Amino acid sequence: MTVPIDQHNEGVKKNVTFRVFRFNPQVDSKPYFDDYTIPVERGITVLRSLNYIKEHIDASVSFRAFCQAGICGSCGMRVNGRSQLACTTQVWDVLARSRDEGIIKVEPLRNLPLIKDLIVDMDPLVDKMKHYSNWIDSTMPEASMGKKEFLISEEEFLRYDKATDCILCASCVSECSILRANKEYVSPAVLLKSYRMNVDSRDSIHGQRLAELVKDHGVWDCTHCYRCQESCVKSIPIMDAIHGIREDAIESRGMKDTSGSKHAEAFMSDIEKKGKLVEATLPIRTNGVVWTLQNLLPMAVKMIMKRRTPPPPPLVKSAKGIKIFREMFREMTEHVKQDHKSHKK
Amino acid sequence: MKPFDVVIVGGGGAGLYAAMEAMKTNPSLNIAVLSKVYPNRSHTSAAQGGANAALANKAKNDTVEMHIFDTIKGSDYLADQDAVDVLCSEAPKIIRELENMGTPWSRMDDNTIAQRPFGGATLPRCCYCSDKTGHTILQTLYEQCLKKGVIFFNEYFALNLSVNGSRSRGLIAMNMKSGKVEAFPARTVIFATGGYAKMYWNRSSNAAGNTGDGQAIAFRSGIPLKDMEFVQFHPTGLRKSGLLITEGARGEGGYLVNKDGERFMARYAKEKMELGPRDLVSRSIETEILEGRGFDSPAGTYIHLDLTHLGADLIKSRLPQIREMSMQFEGVDPIEEPIPIRPTAHYSMGGIDTDNFGRTVMQGVYAAGECGCVSVHGANRLGGNSLLDILVFGRIAGHTAAEEAQQFEPGTISEGELKEQLDEVRGGMHSSGNYERYGALREDLGKTLASNVGIYRESSLLQKGIQEISELKERFKKVRVFDTSDVFNTNLMQVLELKNMLDLAETVAAGAYARQESRGSHTRVDFPVRDDVNWHKHTLATLVNGKVVLGEKPVTMGRYELQERTY
Ligand SMILES: Cc1cc2nc3c(=O)[nH]c(=O)nc-3n(C[C@H](O)[C@H](O)[C@H](O)COP(=O)(O)OP(=O)(O)OC[C@H]3O[C@@H](n4cnc5c(N)ncnc54)[C@H](O)[C@@H]3O)c2cc1C
Ligand code: SF4
Ligand code: SF4
Ligand code: FES
Repeated sequence: MTVPIDQHNEGVKKNVTFRVFRFNPQVDSKPYFDDYTIPVERGITVLRSLNYIKEHIDASVSFRAFCQAGICGSCGMRVNGRSQLACTTQVWDVLARSRDEGIIKVEPLRNLPLIKDLIVDMDPLVDKMKHYSNWIDSTMPEASMGKKEFLISEEEFLRYDKATDCILCASCVSECSILRANKEYVSPAVLLKSYRMNVDSRDSIHGQRLAELVKDHGVWDCTHCYRCQESCVKSIPIMDAIHGIREDAIESRGMKDTSGSKHAEAFMSDIEKKGKLVEATLPIRTNGVVWTLQNLLPMAVKMIMKRRTPPPPPLVKSAKGIKIFREMFREMTEHVKQDHKSHKK
Repeated sequence: MKPFDVVIVGGGGAGLYAAMEAMKTNPSLNIAVLSKVYPNRSHTSAAQGGANAALANKAKNDTVEMHIFDTIKGSDYLADQDAVDVLCSEAPKIIRELENMGTPWSRMDDNTIAQRPFGGATLPRCCYCSDKTGHTILQTLYEQCLKKGVIFFNEYFALNLSVNGSRSRGLIAMNMKSGKVEAFPARTVIFATGGYAKMYWNRSSNAAGNTGDGQAIAFRSGIPLKDMEFVQFHPTGLRKSGLLITEGARGEGGYLVNKDGERFMARYAKEKMELGPRDLVSRSIETEILEGRGFDSPAGTYIHLDLTHLGADLIKSRLPQIREMSMQFEGVDPIEEPIPIRPTAHYSMGGIDTDNFGRTVMQGVYAAGECGCVSVHGANRLGGNSLLDILVFGRIAGHTAAEEAQQFEPGTISEGELKEQLDEVRGGMHSSGNYERYGALREDLGKTLASNVGIYRESSLLQKGIQEISELKERFKKVRVFDTSDVFNTNLMQVLELKNMLDLAETVAAGAYARQESRGSHTRVDFPVRDDVNWHKHTLATLVNGKVVLGEKPVTMGRYELQERTY
């Protein structure tokens, strides 16, 4: 078994133009793009190309990077319009899908304040993590810690295992359709983290966290567009977390939340009728026609162009087993009503 | 600014545990954590394997004593035995504490924390969370710090200590978002800035920022560094990036193959073949490369880690991460072709000399984590012991600093001193006389270290290394910071990091040259055996009048006598 030395195609290089978003708040009144053309061999990532540009052509190109191994979450940016990690993205792969031949456009993440070039401010995300108590408030008092383990079943571990993969890279944040209209919206990553805490049996503030999540800008504002999940760099099923929180909210809080209740009603009538959500009409029913037109229409048009939009209502087929579902639903509403009564007492 | 009681430099596992513990020790204290990256981005997140603790969940007969012995033996008897006692006896407590605060440890069938075997350990005692142990520990600590309301100065770059004789007045740091140099007057400062193995540059598995900033700052302030010559190499780093391909690949049956198509491990470890101990496999690969049996490429010489014979099914089901990594970072699908690899600098055993409480020789200055050297790892760290080290000694340093803070007067840092710092830092921005590119210097530093102060060391090579490092330091004086802006000047940060690496590289090379023996990770071709008579001691590197001066410190012994280290 002799292997030729050039097996890894070291010789072959392609000229690639990186069209990089530039903005330095000290001197620029508005952003612009700079083109850098460099030869790139197979095996080179977008981050390594940017490093090369910074070292050899223009040292002022600014971006964050740290681990270079897809684990620290520093290097989130938009490559040809998609939010992803620069350090795990192969240039040749991007080229193969590039619309403009030989050109790769690199831009900062959206929905977070721009600092410089490809660097955005992460503080708003951290503030939201604080606001929604994205930590375990242990049922064990601090003084007793370190003495014995909680016993946790594999089944419970699996409930949050995937969610703890999140590296807070903010790719999902950048792609979120609601955040574009409303910067105060909780954010998919924070919903994911909140869910992870809520299903952990060691946590003691589940109710308090949930109460915050159902308020304005919280879990009911999500339009189920799935963009966060589609863009997650760790392939985390974020929507499971969002559904999980909603189900939990309805189950444990019923209809008593003023802001969320409209949405909850929409949600429940969807479930009852079709066995699944009619996403296209959800925003209208929750927020009213005017808000929807103002905030979501532009995005909806874009989504239709990209064929991303959920099918309009008549096309949504009733889920299989709808009878069983309706049965379950009736039970659930009974439950909620009971809950309601006992709360009023 | 109001003076702080405790300023912690570094938001990795060590820094965050220190912060938490300091707040717990005295909630009324004014505590701040500074970090050049958001704490959750720290390199602790890269640790996959796990952390050791004799919980005896998996092996019921495991004991703290066995953990202690394994650690001392692993260190090639250079660890201080009283420090190892602390490390291993605190281990079960600290792992449970993390569990109690929410770390999602993987579980055994009886619902207790899962443990697995790890190199150098007699029994399976490595606690893990899938392959993301460091990441989940760091998340937990960051979450708990947010909960406790720890004050974070994120994206602040520590520049220097402000020193008054034998006392520190506090820290000087640059706010990366504004480019301003700011004062952090403080009663106590804890350095927790992580390791320095990135000085081997693209022959290192470390994050770009593991440049030993804290060690360099302490060193420039006259605080001694201990055992700097000990740098651990991992056998299988990806050729282009240095990133790790874990032992799992060889565990599942991967072959190491040279350019003649030969499974060369047969020559070095006939029985264990690819599964020999880390240092042996690293040395074997290096020998193949040095003797011309590697593959040449613009990114350097390498050998093959061949998994193709394992078949697509096994690779997809058992080694999905490894496959993903080689596709993402090397563009190579291991199902179809071998992975190009070579040994990579992985962990720095040396660091700021501290006692068992995290104290340095300077009053009010402490260190913990990979940045410090207590020493619990001696000449060679065991896998799974460094996460433990950062937790245990991070906590101890936080506690000590909080308790002792009141003993020290907070210093004041003058505007003049800040101005001076700023001028110095921005000095490289002047166009006249500054033309060297940091990228080239950094690359050259990595190359000279890898070839002269690498896995195999030898007197004439080390001399060459020392010479080349000093030439690089000369060239560095002419380095140009091309980006002159204030806001988030990453060009400037990289230049400052390079300066730190250059200062530390000198201590690594000096220690390696002085130590005329082979011990743990330090292999001298010209002194191939361990020399307990002359070299059973720590080296201390101190900066005196701009020169590295080497001293020594005895090893604290205990219950275990010196023995030959065989596995
Ligand atoms: C790939 C890899 C795998 C590993 N796997 C394992 C394993 O399985 N088990 C194990 O036990 N160990 C493992 N290790 C080792 C272990 O991860 C590290 O030793 C440990 O995480 C170091 O933690 P720390 O808190 O000391 O430093 P770090 O986590 O590196 O944190 C350093 C902090 O200091 C800050 N900082 C640095 N310089 C400055 C400055 N100038 N100004 C301000 N802030 C600064 C950084 O921002 C960062 O927050 C592994 C290491 C690597 C590289
Ligand atoms: S599904 Fe919800 S959270 Fe996710 S991107 Fe769409 S609106 Fe945002
Ligand atoms: S959920 Fe996924 S995309 Fe979003 S921050 Fe976490 S890892 Fe990144
Ligand atoms: S640099 Fe850490 S995720 Fe890309």
